[in-house]
Amino acid sequence: MTGSLNVLAAAIAILGVMPSALGEGLVCAHALDGMSRNPEMYGKLRTSMILACALVETTAIYSLLISILILFTK
Amino acid sequence: MFENFFKADIPGELISSLIVIGIIAILSIIVGILAARQNPLKKPKGLLLVAEIGVKFFDNFSRDLVGTTLPNFGGFIMGVAMYLFISFIFGLTGLPSPVTYMAIPLSLGLTTFLLIHYTSARFTKWAYFKRYIDPIPIFLPINLISMWAPLLSLTLRLFGNAIAGWALLTIVEYALRDLSGMVFSFMQTEWNQVFLAPIPLAILHAYFDVFSGLIQTFVFILLTSIFIGQEIPEDIDLNTLERRKKQ
Repeated sequence: MTGSLNVLAAAIAILGVMPSALGEGLVCAHALDGMSRNPEMYGKLRTSMILACALVETTAIYSLLISILILFTK
Repeated sequence: MFENFFKADIPGELISSLIVIGIIAILSIIVGILAARQNPLKKPKGLLLVAEIGVKFFDNFSRDLVGTTLPNFGGFIMGVAMYLFISFIFGLTGLPSPVTYMAIPLSLGLTTFLLIHYTSARFTKWAYFKRYIDPIPIFLPINLISMWAPLLSLTLRLFGNAIAGWALLTIVEYALRDLSGMVFSFMQTEWNQVFLAPIPLAILHAYFDVFSGLIQTFVFILLTSIFIGQEIPEDIDLNTLERRKKQ
């Protein structure tokens, strides 16, 4: 079963979500910038922002997947 | 001949994938019958209206991203999108969602991957092999490795999202079960474990299955269309293709 080294490896693997969170923050910040500059683009910018967030999230999900695989596979 | 048919060791996800395909097939047959009976001069309503809006949306989507060179591409991405979205929300029924079995995202990604290379070879003929030695021939090993990137990223994005939502929901489920057992321990029956789970789990299911499924479906068809659309050269449209066929 899971030894202590596996838990440590999962903890290191999950560190990869950190830059992804920063990137998601950048996406939201710039989308809000654009929305405040011309509010009539609000609808389009919100859709694109959610899409870009889903794309940026992908790297975080790779880390999550790897750490789940380390923890739960025998 | 069929006595061992139901004893086969098939994973549950594949069976739910077959159920999803069955749902889509029955829905398509119903829509087809309705469309054949409909008077084209009257306004459509009900299921037929929804189907028309969907078909129009996917046709516009494929025309924007792929162009008019592949006229039937909207049908392909509509099929993929319906399969993926129904697979994602299939977890709501309590049966295993097909996307949490790695073979299914892998086969969807493989479809896109093969279509990318088929489209490229179809439109550029022998110049297809030029993509492996793109700037200079020394880039061959790098190009041979990087050609697998779309397949891996598409597969792991779908599988990772589905499995992350599944793992989180399972952990919350067990935690709420034990918590409810502790809080309502005065009831002295097994049924004291069922009280706390329903409302938080409904909200989490709405996020991880419905919302995340919708977003991931849209990202998948968007990336598929962009990858395939960029393989088509700019100057080729339907007329030049037909002229080339006649020659």
